[in-house]
Amino acid sequence: MNSLLRQYTVIGPVREGREILFQPIKSPQPLQMDYVSTMAAPRKFIYPSRQLLFRFLRHPNDQLITEEILPQGQQILLGVHPCDAHAIMVLDRVFMGEFTDPYYAKKRQNTLLVVLNCQGVGRNCFCDSMGTGPFLHVWMGQDPAKGCDLELTDLGDRYLVEFFSEKAEQLFSFPLETATDEDVQLKRKKETKVKEKFIKKLNLENLPSLLLENLDHPVWSRVGEGMCLSCTNCTMVCPTCYCYNTVDRAELDLSKIERYRYWDSCQELHFAEVHGGNFRSTRGARLRQFVLHKLSYWVKQYGCFGCVGCGRCISWCPTGIDLTEIVGEIRAGRVQ
Amino acid sequence: MNNWLKPFMARIVFKKKETYDTSTYGFQLKENPDFSFLPGQFNMVGIPGVGEAPISFSSDPGEKNKFEHTIRAVGRVTQTIARYKEGDGLQIRGPYGRGWPLEDAQGKNILVVAGGIGLAPLRGFLLQVWKDRNDFGKVVILYGARTPEDLLFREELPLWRKKPNTQFLLTVDEVPPRTRWEENQGVVTTLFDRMEVSPDNTLALVCGPEIMMRFVVVGLLQRGYPASRLYLSLERRMKCGVGQCGHCQIGPKYVCRDGPVFCYREIRSFPDTLI
Repeated sequence: MNSLLRQYTVIGPVREGREILFQPIKSPQPLQMDYVSTMAAPRKFIYPSRQLLFRFLRHPNDQLITEEILPQGQQILLGVHPCDAHAIMVLDRVFMGEFTDPYYAKKRQNTLLVVLNCQGVGRNCFCDSMGTGPFLHVWMGQDPAKGCDLELTDLGDRYLVEFFSEKAEQLFSFPLETATDEDVQLKRKKETKVKEKFIKKLNLENLPSLLLENLDHPVWSRVGEGMCLSCTNCTMVCPTCYCYNTVDRAELDLSKIERYRYWDSCQELHFAEVHGGNFRSTRGARLRQFVLHKLSYWVKQYGCFGCVGCGRCISWCPTGIDLTEIVGEIRAGRVQ
Repeated sequence: MNNWLKPFMARIVFKKKETYDTSTYGFQLKENPDFSFLPGQFNMVGIPGVGEAPISFSSDPGEKNKFEHTIRAVGRVTQTIARYKEGDGLQIRGPYGRGWPLEDAQGKNILVVAGGIGLAPLRGFLLQVWKDRNDFGKVVILYGARTPEDLLFREELPLWRKKPNTQFLLTVDEVPPRTRWEENQGVVTTLFDRMEVSPDNTLALVCGPEIMMRFVVVGLLQRGYPASRLYLSLERRMKCGVGQCGHCQIGPKYVCRDGPVFCYREIRSFPDTLI
């Protein structure tokens, strides 16, 4: 670890008050490798919540010079659970698909993704239903071997280490023992045991079209208007949310202007506003947009769900909105 | 790596006042010799320090390195652009999106229904049609504005009326007192009974305020136009132009990348489509 800390910015799970957060570390001591879930997803270390894109400099002859500010530095994202690792690979489909976003791509290419399989299950975790966890597997066409660098499984007194990239092999400055068949079997046993612990579930059968067929279901207005505060917590903690806004900040003499982008949220009133109206002016419409995007539209757009079952939007909703319950209500056809 | 968000300088070579709040700006590029676009596509037009806004091309797509934007001053960015003059530079990036179905329109009759500034994105399409007039059937243009003062391209409209095999109908919502007006008065759908074209083998291209497009779509469906031959150019808030900022989504579609021109059939099942 100490040699890695000299070469890379290492970001791992550490304790902060009552919560576990991903943060850059200076030594391995504070790492909490047995954590269940973190408050925020690690996405901000690849797709920052606020990022400088351009610096426009106005020269005395009134010429405008545009500087492109690309992120620098190598980093290791350490101890990322499979759901969050898949979420990063979901973001890859968004930012490195038909059009490549150079800011995201640069950061992503300079990141080593070290996955840690789960030992515990939180009360809002439903990655088992989504298929993204609790252990790392191929998910909806995404092979984690193409996208992750290393997979760790805690076997009690040692880690099972599985390599996906050459870069990952170079991380170890000491020789590793070769894993035995027993080690691999122990991994499978551990996985089966963790899978038994899930409380929250989501039935995916026919889900994208089921939601499209229920655009007028009363759950949207009941939960949207009756419970949702438009606080945007769900979209801030979501590991796959990618929407952004841009804003320009200028020096008073206009000699220097900086263009930033920052995370935006479909739950904000302004999000779908145009001159002359707003396409989602009600909280019900905005909540429906969030749920349908994650569980329906996303599949058409990117070939996978936009939800990895991390449960953060449920944990951090101040009024207890739970998208698995919304789906359950629609599936039951129940009208309240 | 190509940076789609990086703007380039485009100088205003002329500015023509269309109405009290709308002007057409002509641009010429020096550094991008291969810049070309299709009618219905758009640029992100911006001013560092103020922001960017998606603006459709309003000019003839045949002219290389030259293009025009017809811009109504309604928001922060467009009101600032309104203060810009000939010789000033704007920061532009594009072209983005999918334009009008030019190929599909070959050999068919064309019904253009435009409201207000909605005529701007259709002008490039019509200029293309006039150039290859024999490739298209009958052309019917229904253009509505709020008042006679709000009509765009005023010198050009009489020329369109004289094109062969073309019907051109004008309407305004309101006529202020002591204003001479000999055309129709009422919303654009009040012209529907006077259209001299049948829905058979006709493509309808629609652009205008959302409320107008909603009534136009209903009216044309009632008159027998199938959803597969109704095309709409939609307006949304946009920050990127390449389907990543998320603002312009309609169901699984990105208006910036999959549109702004959509066949009505593609989007009719999704919510929050027309206000």
